[in-house]
Amino acid sequence: MRTIFILLEGEVRRFLRDKSGLSLTFLVPIVLIYIFGHVFGVSGDGPSGIPLAVVSETNAPVAATITAALQKEKALRIITTDTQAKESKPLSEAQVRERLRAGSLRFALIFPPDTESDDRFGVRLKFLENPRNEIETQTVRGLLEKTIFTSAPQAFLASLQKRASKAIGQPNLDQFNHSLAEAITKAFGGDANETYARISKGTLPTNTGASSTSGNSFLDKLIKIDSEQVTGAQVKSPMATRSVGGWAMMFLLFSLSGAATSLFDEKKVGLYQRLLSAPVRRTHILWSKYLFGMLVGLVQLGALFTAGHFLFGIDITTNLGNLILICFAASSACVAFGMLLAAIAPTSTAANGMGTFLILTMSAIGGAWFPTSLMPEFIQHLSKLTIVYWSIEGFLQVLWANCTTLELLPTLGILLGIAAVVNIFSIWRFNHGQIFE
Amino acid sequence: MLTVQDLTKHYGPRIALADVSFSLEPGEFFGLLGPNGAGKTTFMSLVAGLRPADAGEIFFNGERFSPERIEQRAQLGYVPQDLALYVDLTAEENLRLFGQLYGLSGALLRERVAEGLRAAQLEKRRAEQVRKFSGGMRRRLNLVAAVMHHPKLLLCDEPTVGVDPQSRNAIFEFVEKLHAAGTTVVYSTHYMEEATRLCSRIGILDHGKLLAIGTLDELLAELPFTEQIRIARNDATSPHEAIFQQFGQVSTGDDAYILQPRAGLHLSEFFAAMERVDVPYRHLTVTRPSLENVFLHRTGKSLRDG
Ligand SMILES: Nc1ncnc2c1ncn2[C@@H]1O[C@H](COP(=O)(O)OP(=O)(O)OP(=O)(O)O)[C@@H](O)[C@H]1O
Ligand SMILES: [Mg+2]
Repeated sequence: MRTIFILLEGEVRRFLRDKSGLSLTFLVPIVLIYIFGHVFGVSGDGPSGIPLAVVSETNAPVAATITAALQKEKALRIITTDTQAKESKPLSEAQVRERLRAGSLRFALIFPPDTESDDRFGVRLKFLENPRNEIETQTVRGLLEKTIFTSAPQAFLASLQKRASKAIGQPNLDQFNHSLAEAITKAFGGDANETYARISKGTLPTNTGASSTSGNSFLDKLIKIDSEQVTGAQVKSPMATRSVGGWAMMFLLFSLSGAATSLFDEKKVGLYQRLLSAPVRRTHILWSKYLFGMLVGLVQLGALFTAGHFLFGIDITTNLGNLILICFAASSACVAFGMLLAAIAPTSTAANGMGTFLILTMSAIGGAWFPTSLMPEFIQHLSKLTIVYWSIEGFLQVLWANCTTLELLPTLGILLGIAAVVNIFSIWRFNHGQIFE
Repeated sequence: MLTVQDLTKHYGPRIALADVSFSLEPGEFFGLLGPNGAGKTTFMSLVAGLRPADAGEIFFNGERFSPERIEQRAQLGYVPQDLALYVDLTAEENLRLFGQLYGLSGALLRERVAEGLRAAQLEKRRAEQVRKFSGGMRRRLNLVAAVMHHPKLLLCDEPTVGVDPQSRNAIFEFVEKLHAAGTTVVYSTHYMEEATRLCSRIGILDHGKLLAIGTLDELLAELPFTEQIRIARNDATSPHEAIFQQFGQVSTGDDAYILQPRAGLHLSEFFAAMERVDVPYRHLTVTRPSLENVFLHRTGKSLRDG
């Protein structure tokens, strides 16, 4: 043990003396996290708004209602007028199609002349897309569905009234509407006459108007979706919290595989001849490297999370103990990866090349760049083989879901298990390989 | 102290060491003389426990040497041929680290670090990173770093390569001092002058084989002559080449003939012959044979040719 610490002290001294190495290890990742953070807009609530053109070729009130509701969505930027023309005038479908083809616009919603029709129940809309980016497309579709389904029930009501009038005659419908209004006011309160008037017009305002009426509360009570975010509800900076773990992992892998390839430099100058002729075992050298890597990893993760805290308000204090645990497990898995590189590569150049390739691959499929849930299924299976995946999983459990240590245990176990298996293999390779000869 | 028996090492098909056997008494200063690629480093690395031998055995103080036994390695000092130092650490930090690895601490460690810095003549530059040192400074530090623990057996693998005469003398003195204090030394070199000056016993190694072993006098005694005569090669001497050959074997160099007188020859006979043909004495030098001659005699090639 003493031998390991003597070697470790040497490593730390050398590391602290290497100013450019130090700044690469700590400063660069922090600066990059800062830049990435702003590129991806994590400090805000998401993208600045995906442009969505809305063309209305109908007078049906539902078009205006839906458009108004869409305009409230922060993730969308609604374009209704032709801003390129001198006088701003509403967009036409032909114009929109042209822009979609050219790629200057990727999504458009059209309310055709027959948005509402007497011989059909409901509303007809056209959605045009140029799906360049799968994630963006999914986002827009999701938002459209949500908006339309929460803001358009009145459209059904209006169309229902028209059809009923045709089928049973206006007098009968009036009578029916009276009874309905009475029933509603009895059940939900409000003024029966007013409710009757609104039912007949079929234009019950939903959440618009300042005059919140009994009819309004009736609809609210009829269709009410309580959406609740089960985890992460309390997270202050959701985007940053979700991403910081992935980035941290990538930097960690790079700096630790670099630290492990220092084995090659030391071999080159013959240091291992000297060390191994002294009362030092190969395992002492490997452990000192391992502990040194862990130390660098922990300090680097610490620096990154602290930066994330101050730049993006990531909450690191609430679950600090578990954060330290997961950092520990993630670091040991990353160091194991670096040692593996040194164990299997013939030269440091080869190790660096292989390292870059593997790190980028693992980061991509492990979800460091974008969530694995958006990837094809077979890739999702591969993800689970990477330490990046499990580390991100762990960071999310701690920072996002605020898990307890017990809940975190499986993830910790998997990471430490991967580290152990990789280490056993590396040590075997080191004992049979060239590096200590 | 150290006994090796039939020590053999191959690297793939290449044989680096073949059946090397000898034994050293405590306090010996043993020189391993051989050209490049003779197997000197291979021998050292086997004795230092850095690689396993393919065959043969090493005994250290009568016990079988096993690289696994750390307490045996603690009695050993190894000066690698490579400059095995942490270049990012200072001279002092290097010595401290290697001293600690040998179990030194506290006052003793401080004392040995100071002693090492003094011996390496690096006291003034103790706090400088090794990367700023010249090759000679690194050589000196490389040597003292291996003896922080005052080993019983010191293995020096060509410790003076690329060092100026002054540093070389400093290294000689340091090793001689250690030897005088009781350390057994194995010193490899391809300079016969070093082996001649330092070593009480010399082994000649070539192509992995130990060709000869003995004290300088023992090695020289096996030569069929005890002196040789160097004859400058010029207009005054070259017409008489045929006469030289009557007295022994002549080898012709660029600027001189080397005459190895045949056994039983009285040198006065040769000089009398030279007087008769008017070759001036200043063109003639009598020299004692050297390890170079032993090597030549054994291998048929010069030590310098490698
Ligand atoms: N790691 C190795 N792999 C393969 N061959 C090797 C290795 N090390 C040495 N050899 C070969 O073994 C032979 C002996 O090499 P060694 O280094 O022991 O010679 P040396 O006497 O120390 O030479 P030098 O004076 O150049 O240092 C040489 O032919 C060399 O090419
Ligand atoms: Mg050598």
